[in-house]
Amino acid sequence: MIPTRGRGLVSSLLALALCLAATAAMPQARPARHTKASLVSETDAIQPGRTLRVGIRLEMEEGWHTYWRNPGDSGLPTRARWELPAGFAAGEMRWPYPTRFRTGPLVSYGYERDVLLPVEIRVPPAPSAGEARIAVRVDWLECQDACLPGRADLSLDLPVRPASAPGPQAGLFTEARRRLPTREPGWTFAVAPAPSALRLLVRTPRGTALQEAYFYPSTPRLLDHGKPQPLTREGATHRLELPRDPNGAPAERLAGVLVAETGRGTVAVEVDAPIAAGPARTSQTQE
Amino acid sequence: MKRTAYVSALTLATLVAVTAPATAQAVVGQPAPPFSLVDSNGQTRSLADYAGKVVVLEWWNYECPFVGKHYGSGNMQKLQKEWTSKGVVWLTVSSSAAGKQGHVDGAKANTLMSERAGSPTAVLLDHDGKVGRAYGAKTTPHMFVIDPKGKLVYAGGIDDKPSTDRADVAAAKNYVAAALGEVLAGRPVTTPASQPYGCGVKYAD
Repeated sequence: MIPTRGRGLVSSLLALALCLAATAAMPQARPARHTKASLVSETDAIQPGRTLRVGIRLEMEEGWHTYWRNPGDSGLPTRARWELPAGFAAGEMRWPYPTRFRTGPLVSYGYERDVLLPVEIRVPPAPSAGEARIAVRVDWLECQDACLPGRADLSLDLPVRPASAPGPQAGLFTEARRRLPTREPGWTFAVAPAPSALRLLVRTPRGTALQEAYFYPSTPRLLDHGKPQPLTREGATHRLELPRDPNGAPAERLAGVLVAETGRGTVAVEVDAPIAAGPARTSQTQE
Repeated sequence: MKRTAYVSALTLATLVAVTAPATAQAVVGQPAPPFSLVDSNGQTRSLADYAGKVVVLEWWNYECPFVGKHYGSGNMQKLQKEWTSKGVVWLTVSSSAAGKQGHVDGAKANTLMSERAGSPTAVLLDHDGKVGRAYGAKTTPHMFVIDPKGKLVYAGGIDDKPSTDRADVAAAKNYVAAALGEVLAGRPVTTPASQPYGCGVKYAD
């Protein structure tokens, strides 16, 4: 992490010259003070009829953070508005699993240091030849103790070619994929209501023991983010008690990400399970 | 090892149960938690003083950009003026602890409100955050509406456009104005809760 103010004039000019040479980035409309945003591509070219993988990279100064899709008790999720050539279509932003930030009784969900938010862009079978410009306006909220809104207009000009190779930033995508939640085969979930809580029952493949676990709900107004989520184990089943938001919205499903320590590393598993009408009896297998 | 995990989970559960009142949250449809706080002019104000009236609580941190959106656009002042003129008691609450962003003493609060032409009934100083925690106030702003019987009838955001952009105010659906209109007309509140949005309240650690 290199704070902007720590850079010399020469390197700033060099960076500017490189940007201009590569026509890779437009100046930010309103520079944020503690987060640097950039738009990167996994490949060096756009292939007709194929998916283009790009990502919004946010590099935050030490101590600052930006937010996950559900920011938790405070904050705002990072938002992208795409401007694409005719026939191109951007998919949903993917969210690597977040970490928790606690201040007093409040808990929020987000990222620190460096994050890549990947997005897949559908490329039409016969795009205009030559070059295509992928542009996006990104809005985020960056917070340390205080919060500041950030905004950047980013763009990337890439050649349209029948073949492409990994670009210089391809490694960022490999790293981001490691943090993307997955639908793990062998994990089953069931959700039952409990007094002032939801009880998430987790069965792991081959009875893998979870040493720690935390469930990040993908929407606000479901759980009380500030309260602990006690984990217990009975035989092959883990039970995570999720305190509800007393002013929350009624919900039929529990959706989010279970981040757990298995002893062989951290796993982030997508959860999307119906909330049973009564106490859970059978496990619901995920698709 | 399993036994140890079980015991610590039990201990944790006990701790949670014991500490629950300190982090209890005001629940819509239930009586609003009672409180007494000193206002920016040194006068003690209690919720009980306003029995029979509709009360708004507005969590405030003048340095937060979300608060800046609603004061910079004049939205908050307009709401304060309109609804206090209809008999609503509007209490602006500061729970920013000493040394934290948005912390104000009485004089500072008065100066800021005067500069902004704000007209709440009073600005309440909640420096130790007890009232904020009792209500579960999470953000600035975070808005609460209490009916004449002392029941909490709205808790949540000021509107449905979570942003710091002043331009969003005009097109937003203002949940507080909607709730106040319904309460004053003796009707149930259509949207009794929503997601509060803003900066986290700067509580004492």
